[in-house]
Formats: sequence, C-alpha cells, structure tokens
Amino acid sequence: MARDYDHLFKLLIIGDSGVGKSSLLLRFADNTFTGNYITTIGVDFKIKTINIDGQKVKLQIWDTAGQERFRTITSTYYRGTHGVIVVYDVTNGESFANVKRWLHEIEQNCDVVNRVLVGNKNDTPERKVVLTEDAQRFADTMNIKLFETSAKDNMNVEEMFLAITRLVLRSKREMKERQNFTQGETVNLRKGNKQGKKKCC
Amino acid sequence: MGSRLRTNVTHFFECFCEVVPPQAEKDAWIIQQYPEKYKDEEVLRAVPKFAYPYKIENNVIQHYSFVLTNNESKWTYGFCRHDPNSQTAIVVLSYLPWHHAFYKFLDTTAALMHSTRSEDLREFLTSVYNAKIADPGKQFSVPFNTEDRIFTVDVPKPFQLPSIPENSNLTEYYNAVDSTNMMQIFASMLFERRIIIRSKKLKRLSSCVQSANDLIYPMHWQHIFIPVLPSTLVDYLLAPMPFLVGVPEEVMKKVNRAEIGDVVVLDADNNTIETPFDDLASLPQEVVTPLKRQLKNKSALLGDAVSRAFLRALVHLIGGYRDALRLQPGKSVTFDEDVFVGTRPASLKPFIREMLNLQIFRQFIEERLTMLNNGLGFSDEFEVETFKFSEKSSSKLKQQYKEWTAAMKSEGKVFFRSVKDKANPAVKTAVKTVKGGGKGMKNAYKGLRFLLKEGETAPHPLQNGLSGDEAPRSNKPRSAPSSPTTGKRRLAGFSVPSATYRKDTSLPFKSSPFERSYSPLSPSSQPHSADEGSGSESPDIPRIDLMHEMQDLLKLRLETPPVDRSLKPVRSLENFQHHLSTAAPPPTSSPPRAAPPLFLPHLASRDSENLLLQSPDDVFSSPPAPPHRTAPPPPPPVAKDLFGTAPFVVGGGRNEDGDPLFFVAHQHSVDIVKLSPPVVSTPHRRKQIEEEEDLIRLDSTSDDLDDFDPLKTPNSSFLHRNTCNLPISISNPLYAYENHRSNGNVATSRHDQDLLQEYGIDFNSFSNAASSSKVGAQRQWTTFD
Repeated sequence: MARDYDHLFKLLIIGDSGVGKSSLLLRFADNTFTGNYITTIGVDFKIKTINIDGQKVKLQIWDTAGQERFRTITSTYYRGTHGVIVVYDVTNGESFANVKRWLHEIEQNCDVVNRVLVGNKNDTPERKVVLTEDAQRFADTMNIKLFETSAKDNMNVEEMFLAITRLVLRSKREMKERQNFTQGETVNLRKGNKQGKKKCC
Repeated sequence: MGSRLRTNVTHFFECFCEVVPPQAEKDAWIIQQYPEKYKDEEVLRAVPKFAYPYKIENNVIQHYSFVLTNNESKWTYGFCRHDPNSQTAIVVLSYLPWHHAFYKFLDTTAALMHSTRSEDLREFLTSVYNAKIADPGKQFSVPFNTEDRIFTVDVPKPFQLPSIPENSNLTEYYNAVDSTNMMQIFASMLFERRIIIRSKKLKRLSSCVQSANDLIYPMHWQHIFIPVLPSTLVDYLLAPMPFLVGVPEEVMKKVNRAEIGDVVVLDADNNTIETPFDDLASLPQEVVTPLKRQLKNKSALLGDAVSRAFLRALVHLIGGYRDALRLQPGKSVTFDEDVFVGTRPASLKPFIREMLNLQIFRQFIEERLTMLNNGLGFSDEFEVETFKFSEKSSSKLKQQYKEWTAAMKSEGKVFFRSVKDKANPAVKTAVKTVKGGGKGMKNAYKGLRFLLKEGETAPHPLQNGLSGDEAPRSNKPRSAPSSPTTGKRRLAGFSVPSATYRKDTSLPFKSSPFERSYSPLSPSSQPHSADEGSGSESPDIPRIDLMHEMQDLLKLRLETPPVDRSLKPVRSLENFQHHLSTAAPPPTSSPPRAAPPLFLPHLASRDSENLLLQSPDDVFSSPPAPPHRTAPPPPPPVAKDLFGTAPFVVGGGRNEDGDPLFFVAHQHSVDIVKLSPPVVSTPHRRKQIEEEEDLIRLDSTSDDLDDFDPLKTPNSSFLHRNTCNLPISISNPLYAYENHRSNGNVATSRHDQDLLQEYGIDFNSFSNAASSSKVGAQRQWTTFD
C-alpha cells in the first residue's frame, strides 16, 4: 500500500487546560469531526496533512489531559515525539509561569526536541497580561520561536504549525546527514535516547 | 498529587447504565440509566463503547472494569457485567476503585433486574445511591427490598497492599503472568514505556492493567491509562507518549504493529513478552536480585507478599528520597535532587539519575512533599517499609521532622493551622481505621487459632477460615482447571429463556417494569431449587463476615445461570499435582451431562467445600472450551507419597466438572489438591509444560538465583509459579486494598505492625513447615523487628 505522505510527524501540544489547546487543534486540523476523547480517555489527537517545499507532511498532534498538575513535564513524556508546541494563554499569567518552568526543565535536561512557544487568545488586548516583550525575551533566552495566536480569530495559527513542521523537517534532514557519518546514532535515539540525552549536559 | 483517584467521593456510584449491544448498523447504546440526572454527555457517549469494546461473543458471565479519564486526568471506573442470558450489559460508573464491591453490586443488580417485583431495581439503586459511604475498614450496608435484604460490602482500609487471593485483580495477574514477566512489566513501567497488555478475556485484561499499576505503588502511572481499549479507539495506540493499555485480542487484530513503533507487549493469555528494550536488565541488580528471590519463594506468595516484594524494590530505589528532604523552620519542606543522587550508593546512581526524568517519580515526590507540608508525616505502607529498610537515617529524619513540625507550630503560622484543618479529618479517619484494623487482626488471629485447633476434626471452621472477604477466590490459583463443557450442552436439560429488553426507547423504571421473561431466582427456572434454601434467601444471614462472604458465594452460585467453564492453566495446581505425582482417575470418562450444573451432589455433606473450590471469577471469566477433552490416563493414586510429614485430608469433594478435590491440612496450612490432569486450551504449550514438569522439581528451585536471566525468553520461565500451599491468610481477608485515600500517621501504622508482631504473625508460622530453608528465607523479610 502506497503511503499518501512523505513524512509522518508526531507533535505534542502542552499547556494548562483552558489555554485553548483544543481550539488551536480544531482550527488547524482536518478531522475535526472525529469526536473529542480528551474528556473520556484523557488523550486526543488530530491529523493534518500539509505541503512544505513540495513534500507531503502528515501531522499527528497529540494532547493529554491534566498537564497542569505536573510541576515538571519530564522527558519521557516527549521522547517519542518530533516536536512540542508549548501553549500559554496571554490573558493568564499563571499559564505562562507554568510554561516557563516546563521549558526551563526541558532546557536543563538538554532534551533534543523541537519546540515553539505559543501565546494563545491574543484577541482581546485589554485582557492581555503576558506582554509580548516579556514573552519574546523569554523565548529568546530559550532560543525558541514565539507565536502569538488566536484560535478564535484564526490568527497566526497556520503559520505556527507550519513553523514547527519546518523545524522538525530540518532536524530530520540533519539527522539523516549525521547518520551518513555515524551509523548507530539512530538506534540510541529510538531506544528512548536515555543515553543520548544525558551526554550533552 | 500523584494519585489519580478522586477524594471526597460522596456516592457509592455515579451512574448505573444498561447497554444494548451493537447491531448490524447500529452502535451500542444506553437503554436506561440511573440516576437520570447524571448528565455527563461525554461519559455517557463513551460507556457503550467500553461496554462492548468489540463484538463480544458472550458465552459466560463476565465482569471487568474499564477506566475513563477526565479533563483533570482523574479516573472514573466503569464496572461491567455481561451475562449470556441477558441481551444487555450492565455498567456502573464510580470514582471508587473497589472492584470486588462493584462486581457484587452488579450481581445483585442483575438479579433484581429479573425480579418479579418491578420496583425492586429502582428502589435498590436509589437506596445505594443515597447511602452514605462507610469509613474505611467498615462495612457499607444498605437495606433494600423493603428492608428485608441488605447489600453489604467492605470498604477497603487504607494502607493495605493488594493481597492474593483477596484482590482479584492481582490474583488474576499473578495467575496469568509469571514473576519474570511481572518484573519485566514493572521495569518497563519504571522506564515509562509504551506498554500493551493483550488478552482475549476482558476480565484478565483489566485485572492485569490495574495490577501492573498497583505494583508500582507508592508511585502511580501518570500517563495514558486504558485498561480496556475499544476497537473504535485503536488509533490511540499511535500515541507517542508513554501508555499502559489493555488491548482485547479482537481489537489487536486491527492493529498495524509496524505503525505503532517501539512498544512492550505482554500477552497475558500466553504469558509472553515482546520488548525492544532491556529494561529489567537496566534496573540495578541489587534491587532486582532480592525482588527475584522474594518472588521465587513460592510458598510465601499468598497474602500481600507479591505486592510487598515490589514495594521493597521501590523502597530500595526511591526510599532514599528522605535523605534529600530539606527541612527548614518556617519554610515548606523541599526536595533536593542533587543531594538525592549524591547520597545514593554508587551502583544505584546511574539509574537514580534517570529516575529524575520519570513523571511517576516526580509526581511521587510532589505527593510526599504535600503530605509532609500538610503535617501528615511519614504515614503510609511505603514509609513503614522505608523505615524498616534504613532504620538509622530514618529515625534521624523523624526527629528532624518532629522538630520542624514543632517549630512550625510554635511559630503559630497560619500556614500550619490551615493545613491542619484540611488534614485532620483524614488523619482521624486513618487513626480510627488503623486502630480498628488492629482489633480486626486480633480477632482474625483468635479465629485462626481456633481454626487450627478445630480444623483437624471439623471441616466447617476451616471453611470459615478460608472464606474471608474473597476467600472463594483464594482457591483460584489452585482451583482446578474446569473441564470443558459448552453452554449449550449444559442448558440442554432445561431451557433458560433469555431476557428481553424492550425495543421501544422508553423504559422508565416506574411505569414500565422490567418484564424479564425469566427469573433465575425462581425455582422453576433453576434446576437446583433444592439447594437454594440456604443461599438465596438473603445475602445477610449471619453476622460473621466470613460466613457472609460464603453466603454471597453460595447465593451467587445459585443465582448464576449455568455457565461454561473451561480450563485455565493454573500453574500452582499443576505443580502441586506434579509435586505429588499422583492423581485419581479423573471422571472424564463419565458423559459430560453427568457433570451436575451446580456440581453439588457428589458429596452432599461436603458441598460447602465444593463451593469453595470455585472462585466466582472462574465462573465468570472462563471462555468457551473445546467440547471434548481427552485426558491422559492418570497414574494410579499413591496416597502414601502425597503427604510425607503428617498432613491429613480434612475435606473433599468434586468441582463442578466432577474432578475430585481434597482439602489437605498441614500443620499450618491447607492445600487444595485436585487430582486430575488439567486439560488444555493450547495443547501444544501445555504438553511442553507437562514434559518439563516431569523433569523439574519446582519447589526445589526457590533459592536458586544464579540461573536467573531476566531477558530469557519468557516461555522458559513459564513454570516459575508454584503456589501449592495455602497459608491461612492473616492479612485481613476482609478488606481488599485498593485505595490510598486517607493518610494516618506513623504511630498508628506502627501500631498495626506491633500488633502483628505481638501476635507473632509473620507468615512464617503459617507457611509450609516442610522446608526450613524456605522459612529462613522468609524470615529475612517478613518479621517486623
């Protein structure tokens, strides 16, 4: 059976409940009709196929329930994923604080995972409490891209998903190139990269 | 907090549903529910999917549980009952994980659905729904049927580890999966892998998944947790995150393994594991070796020994978190990772460093810090074990914590007072419970002594001794594999009309009675009316709990329509059989219909023992079996070799298939011996085992550790189960551990222990006296000093 895509990427969307993760997914995904299982099995995913540079990329974007209970989101949670979309609510300072802590933790663990920072609900300026400058400064120190989006107004959503997909695509290419030099690296990564990850610290 | 159970649960159950199976083009749907005010649409939409996870061919009554996860990642349990004589399934949703209680609830409900008095069901549901849940360790009793019957279940005590056989989930898991594979799953959970457990039996599936999670206590699985995966959700196995999912064999057929990627798969029917990882080998050997040793000590694995063995492994790994606690007066207690890693022995360090990356470990730390900062101290079973593990540093820390607490108090911080308000009820409850538990233990012990004395002459007290909370299940590991009999044949002698549900959508409880076309309780439809007298009147006859449970079982038996039983490879029995190398001629030569549907008549005076030999689960979970069996001719009985020392047969009878069974009392234990070769659903594998059994004396391998290769193919360790004797369980058979909701304090936990010690209860005294080395081995870890 021929595949209907050139790449399959699994992305993870994380952030407190209420920051609009589901809305972002609904706005972006193809299969919005499949029902919502996050409230019944605690996990949900949406699919979207996009074209980048003439290549068909199929995205699965996964979401799980109750992440705000984690002070830290540990690396085991994203070791199987290609990229992470970290979402906060620009009208909710606490959600930004959580996100900062999580990203710091990822940084500390030197986890090699592509990520973007997303400030959602950027549609009512008078309620905005997380200022763009603060968020941008933080994003810069973390060396990641910041997107301020509005799922409601469909603002910047597509761009954000495209950006993370490009990041993943790029690291896949890089990895392939590296692979050509050193065989076996992929094995490490596939085995949960428990060795690989630590080495960089 | 780490636990995914809800606190402050007010109702015993949240919603009861009757679900119609899927038909041609139509999905399964809920035909009626109670209470009607339950309106969680998402959940109600999900229930039919989980009640019929695939097209179930239902030949037997089966119970299983599923779990729904809400937006806060808290769990709702769905307990499900399928009955071949009913066209619908019944489901009860609850926040409480009390499997035993809810299976009983479903049985009672099922009986009432066929009651001639149409209001019975609704009245029962209303009474139970509105009743206040009893305190832990107490009985939850609800009168119904205009007060002449009482529904009673025991509310599990906190701090009680799952026991075999009281905890049916663990018993099922233990029966299905050998200790090496249990350790493999345990290890893979400690690496937070993506884990699939597959089985064709829903009960086994849900039990294995639930128990796997129980065995990582004090940690709790933080990731995707789906004990039974419906076929419509099969795509969720593509999830890149860690998961623990039970996949029915039928659903597994739809899975494209190549798409799923690296995943650990435990086949619970065949006791095999496929894994791309070396997780067990990656655990520190100083942790694995004692675990292995404890699990190999087959004679002592009843009670909470299995749970405790795993708990000890975790104590070894993470108990040292205490060394990394920072207690500063006036500040919250914090945890210092670097100190934690730094203070571990060098051999543990690499793994410990990895553990910091585990969500389950992180949440564990969070939970402990919350407990400490709330003034709850070191209170649960884990902490008790930890104290034992490192007495010295513990007492130092205890002292420090005491000082810290005192400082917090003396400063009169609002902090502590507010916390106290919160914590107090839980503490009080826990204290009460533990005290009560202590008393219960005294009584249990008294009863036990009585039994040991009386057991020789009178079989009846022995039954009582065995029939604790789920004592009938106690026989499960050694209950005989039942002979295959098809449901149809069993039903041939009489007709059991099947229940019909009304196709019109309106089935209100009040106006439209449940007009079932049969009533299994009525003598006319049951061939055993003669036996009903004792059991079917009401479940609440005696005051003694043990009898109570017996009664329930009896009743269940009588209410249960004849069911199909097939063979279950029960290793313990086979081993025993091998060990004894004797067998009475199995009555396989008798025509199948000679097997009495309720298996009582053969030894009329011993019918109670007979009942004990079958656990309800056997009845429920057995799949249809091959219609014919050809048992190999058994060797002639060599009674003399049976019991070398001085055991004696205190009872006997036949199981429902006519296989002879005996109770054999040793000095301190009772064995249930089945004297016929088990018949196999998978002939090839069994054959192999039988051959191997001829060569290996299983009980002689228990201390031999060096041959252990954790990565050996699981098949080779298929024989490692050898639980042939039954120490009379003193681990309070009345309560199934399932809940850690409340927290007590150290003093009370110690109290419980002290009681144990005071009464000299350390499994040793109850173990098979035959092997002194075994006893010695146990002593290393079962005494409390």
